[in-house]
Amino acid sequence: MKIMTCPINGPRPITEFAYGGEVRPMPDPNTVDDATWAAYIYNRNSIPGIKQEWWCHVPSNTWFIAERNTLTDEILRTYLYAEAQEGVA
Amino acid sequence: MSHRLPPLPGEWIDRSQRIEFTFEGDRLWGYAGDIITSALWASGRRTLGRSFKYHRPRGILSLANHDVNVLVQHGQQLNLRADVTPIAAGMVLSAVNTNGGVRSDRNSVLDFFSPFLPVGFYYKAFHNRRWFPFWERLIRNISGLGAVDVSTPHLRTAKRYDFCQVLVIGAGVAGLAAAIAAAEAGAEVVLVDENPRVGGSGCYQLGADDRQAEQVQALVQAVQGCDRIRVYTSTVAAGYYADHWVPLVEPDRMTKLRAKAVIMANGAYEQPAVFRNNDLPGVMLASAAQRLIYRYAVKPMQRAVVFTANRDGYRAALDLAKHGVEVRAIVELRSHLTASELTQAVTAQGMPIYLGHCLYEAQASPAQDGVAAAVVCPVAANGEPQPQFRQTIACDGIVMSVGWAPAANLLYQAGAKLRFDESLQQFVPDWLPPGIFACGRVNGVYNFQQKLQDGKRAGLAAAAFLGYAVTPTAAHSVWLGDRTESPSHPWPIIEHPAGKNFVDFDEDLQYKDFPNAIQEGFDNIELLKRFTTVGMGPSQGKHANMNALRILAKITGKTPGEVGTTTARPFFHPVPMSHLAGRGFSPERHTPLHERHAALNAKFMLAGMWRRPEYYQRPGKRREECILAEANAVRHGVGLIDVGTLGKLELHGPDAAEFLERVYTGRFRNLKVGMSRYALMLDESGVVIDDGVVARFSPEQFYFTTTTGGATAIYRELSRLNTLWQLDCGLVNLTGAQAAVNLAGPDSRAVLAKLTDLDLSGAAFPYLGVRAANVAGIPARLMRVGFVGEWGYEIHVPAESAPALWDALMAAGADWNITPFGVEAQRLLRLEKGHVIVGQDTDGLTTPREANLTWAIKMEKPFFVGQRSLQAIAQRPLKQILVGFMLDPNYTGYPPQECHLVIDGNDIAGRVTSVAYSPTLSRYIGLAYVKPELAALGTTFSIRLSDRSLVTARVSPTPFYDPDNQRQQETVLTTLQEVSI
Amino acid sequence: MNTPLRLSPIDAALRSLQGHWGEVNGMPTLMHRPRAAHWPVGIADLSSLTRFGVKGANAAAWLSQQGIPVPQRPNTWRSLPPGGLVARLGLTEFLIEDGLSSNVAPQLAARCQTPPARVYPVLRQDLALALVGDRTQELLRQTCSVNFQAVDVSQHPVVLTSMIGVTVTIIPTEMAGQLVYRLWCDGTFGTYFWKTLIEMATELGGGAIGVEQVPFNTASERGV
Repeated sequence: MKIMTCPINGPRPITEFAYGGEVRPMPDPNTVDDATWAAYIYNRNSIPGIKQEWWCHVPSNTWFIAERNTLTDEILRTYLYAEAQEGVA
Repeated sequence: MSHRLPPLPGEWIDRSQRIEFTFEGDRLWGYAGDIITSALWASGRRTLGRSFKYHRPRGILSLANHDVNVLVQHGQQLNLRADVTPIAAGMVLSAVNTNGGVRSDRNSVLDFFSPFLPVGFYYKAFHNRRWFPFWERLIRNISGLGAVDVSTPHLRTAKRYDFCQVLVIGAGVAGLAAAIAAAEAGAEVVLVDENPRVGGSGCYQLGADDRQAEQVQALVQAVQGCDRIRVYTSTVAAGYYADHWVPLVEPDRMTKLRAKAVIMANGAYEQPAVFRNNDLPGVMLASAAQRLIYRYAVKPMQRAVVFTANRDGYRAALDLAKHGVEVRAIVELRSHLTASELTQAVTAQGMPIYLGHCLYEAQASPAQDGVAAAVVCPVAANGEPQPQFRQTIACDGIVMSVGWAPAANLLYQAGAKLRFDESLQQFVPDWLPPGIFACGRVNGVYNFQQKLQDGKRAGLAAAAFLGYAVTPTAAHSVWLGDRTESPSHPWPIIEHPAGKNFVDFDEDLQYKDFPNAIQEGFDNIELLKRFTTVGMGPSQGKHANMNALRILAKITGKTPGEVGTTTARPFFHPVPMSHLAGRGFSPERHTPLHERHAALNAKFMLAGMWRRPEYYQRPGKRREECILAEANAVRHGVGLIDVGTLGKLELHGPDAAEFLERVYTGRFRNLKVGMSRYALMLDESGVVIDDGVVARFSPEQFYFTTTTGGATAIYRELSRLNTLWQLDCGLVNLTGAQAAVNLAGPDSRAVLAKLTDLDLSGAAFPYLGVRAANVAGIPARLMRVGFVGEWGYEIHVPAESAPALWDALMAAGADWNITPFGVEAQRLLRLEKGHVIVGQDTDGLTTPREANLTWAIKMEKPFFVGQRSLQAIAQRPLKQILVGFMLDPNYTGYPPQECHLVIDGNDIAGRVTSVAYSPTLSRYIGLAYVKPELAALGTTFSIRLSDRSLVTARVSPTPFYDPDNQRQQETVLTTLQEVSI
Repeated sequence: MNTPLRLSPIDAALRSLQGHWGEVNGMPTLMHRPRAAHWPVGIADLSSLTRFGVKGANAAAWLSQQGIPVPQRPNTWRSLPPGGLVARLGLTEFLIEDGLSSNVAPQLAARCQTPPARVYPVLRQDLALALVGDRTQELLRQTCSVNFQAVDVSQHPVVLTSMIGVTVTIIPTEMAGQLVYRLWCDGTFGTYFWKTLIEMATELGGGAIGVEQVPFNTASERGV
């Protein structure tokens, strides 16, 4: 089965992971209109391509981001969210 | 008469071990190492099975598990493939799918009716509803394979994991060479082959030439002598899964192997020629005849006609002749023949070659169970047979060698792209994903020396891929070598007006079925497959798909490459259910009090992964009586329930309160230390997903609970939010580490007072308060909660101390008749209080307004998950609202159950979510969603039961019991104390 | 009432076995099973060892201040001088487990009652096991997709993975020249985990062993 590499624990079978959806910035709830908010809640980007996705290595409860090509299912890299924020990833 | 040959070098049989068995009532024998089919053929049996649809007699076709002509049953083991199943002492075998035995199967009458059973007839013939049950019974009796014995014991075989650097699939010539090359370069190799021995065709497609066999033996010895190669025989690589994950299936277990690179040396399937009566016993593939000879020392036939279009046919003719078979003719489908050592050897032995001829028809023996003669005729330039020039050649066996199809299933599964090579007349790899390599016949390489080179190239390429230094490095990953002669004929199909020229032997599909299907519009390979069922039988098209593809191409004027192939799916060969079931790990969670419940005769139920006591069985009492007794004990005395399955989380840090404010709907910044508060959780869309209680033990320490079912997912999601928000707080999951019990009832305080020094007075420890104190010498967290509506304490202790706590409470409570109570009693008690259970009284779309939970929402907070969505839906009219209801106290019929519908006129107006008989109110009570028009107090509405009768319910206020929460006031205790004195 | 204040998650399952019982750190413990010496796979319940967990950005610093030698790399472990081990689980979480006669964990727990900033105590109530014997890898091969043959024990790795559907922490270690696997899982999975592993161990010719039959390195160290 597919292997996913946890940034902390290394390569593991995909069954050790939980998928958390594409990384999507939340619109500002104070200023967003209802229609845009509804799109954020209910619509998902289904165009195949390279996406940043939330993944969790369940045994260690490590949340991280995987950059994955959803057409070829190739995982390009995985990194910790915090490191990305600091531009270190 | 025995058809056994004298001993041959490398034969698989052990002539010192005779094995006796029974087939179709006849006692026969063979040698250890024989498969069922070889033992039967050696003893002269020729009709070994009956075909699926027409029940035609069948013998050997591929002898390679590429067809299921011979399926047998042995006791409870059904559909054994005789071509690959060894004989065992005492086996009692019968052919499947016959009516009256394989020799005189009465269902063979279907062969006569075949004109009325055209392709796809079942899609058209059985529409009449009245007649369908008749047809169904009839068809079930005359088709189907094997008979299931429902008392067969369930077997489970353990799975295991395995690892290697290079996996080589197929231990034929190319595979052996690849394994050696990879190992010599330093890689650690696993080599698998589905046969009991390695060597593949190198051990039987000999052309009567010993040199090749010797070379193969040298390879085999090199492999066996190499430490870095593990060889697994009788092992099928059953499929290819992501990242080089391959199930290896042996007769008694399955191994899940992870490799770092995979070399596919799976070989090719020999393809049958399509001519009238090509399915008679005695008509077989050339490689089948060669296997019979070299593996099992069985003479395939006495007098043979070889129908060929490639070199392999000439090798087969030489092998037959060497072992005493009279080769009466070589029918060469090609019109030109390049002279070679093989053609010269054949001619020198006096075997006539009929150039540019086809095998037009096999003639059956008088008993219809074998071949009596081969009818051959020339083939015109346009490929059409010319039967007017026919000749009849007496023989008892016909050997076919007209072409091959690559065993590319696993390559396709790995994502390889193949293209059709016109000169080879075969699909070959065009692009391989990283880490995948192919060599040998699956790669289009047929010449023996070239196979060795191709295997070595692939082995080195795999080693280089893994980082081993390799000289010379592989220049390219796909290599097709030198093409002097195609091993496959583009059209090995001979049309015949009387038909019975079979394309798919599993499914009894003859040539004409295909133009008929195409004419009906099923002219695409996917449609053709599904309408004709070609390739859908037990051998999944191994011997049939290529010819079907050629037919479709010719009729539609396309090339085979344009027609394409259908998807090859795992598993490559059937895998027993016992292997897939494995041990069957179903994790279960127990609280540390599990043994205490068992000792008290708890009836356990599964709540998610947890085992919980549903109720405790009292001797001689029915379930409902037990539950009512437990509930009454809580209302009037004291009860004890294990609530250890609740999710329990701890939050520390300066931002802990802020975090709670964001994830829950309520206010927690202002929660006082030493107090608790109900907490409601929504998802982003505003739907209720969980609830619990938040307790504050210090300014920066919160301890909160979730529902049993929600704990794992909520901890995970809260962890993600903390990762996202980067607040200064830490989250700890104590669900398994902390045990918890709820001591509830008017006598609960008196019981607890015996075990703790904590001041339990209402002033010192108010309702909803939380305290840390020792109970029975165990450091504990206590919370006064109101879920069941009585004075009570939820007590949390580390799991290892839970039994000590339980025992102490039970001992202390003995004087008050303390009663353990279970989940069902608890659900009844909370229902009397009108408390909502998330997931039962709410569903995947319920918002707080519908569930009467708006009181728990503080919209004025700056932000909480779900807030914005609640704003968006606030203006919309409600479609339903949760109300309490009661039935008439005199109602004695069947009570409604959860999910029974509320009916208003002819419409569905809601549904029941909770319902139970309340001993406190002496009537049925419940919660239900109803249309807002029906929600006013006092309104009556109808609930429809399963038998379609209607019950009248009345909307009533909740809580049903103790609406003012008097039971949490100190007065209730003193009142009872006065009464008891 | 004499119920011990500490009971192993698998206390009931062990009671049905023949053997000699004792007490370790206040927990009734199966100390020795007759005829279990040199079994190809022996599984011992080490839940009685005292344990402490802590996590957070400042956890490493705090532990150092308490005199605990903190492993520098994530997912590695070190022995504690008085006995026992400290394991770094990922980046910022630690598990401290005492040996048979050391007492560091309860002291750390006491000092962490009012934890300093960014130090979060984690109550540990694990089922803790030791797998002993020369066929332990076969048992792991049936249950765990991590390739332990390829793991370099000298690097002191800590593996967080899943076995038979349960989250587990695994430390392979050398004890008296033998390869021994230490396992920890959530105690509420304890009965299921134990029963399933024992069934497999029995098929391999082994079974439950006592704490005294785990080849701890020295009598005084009794570590890991």
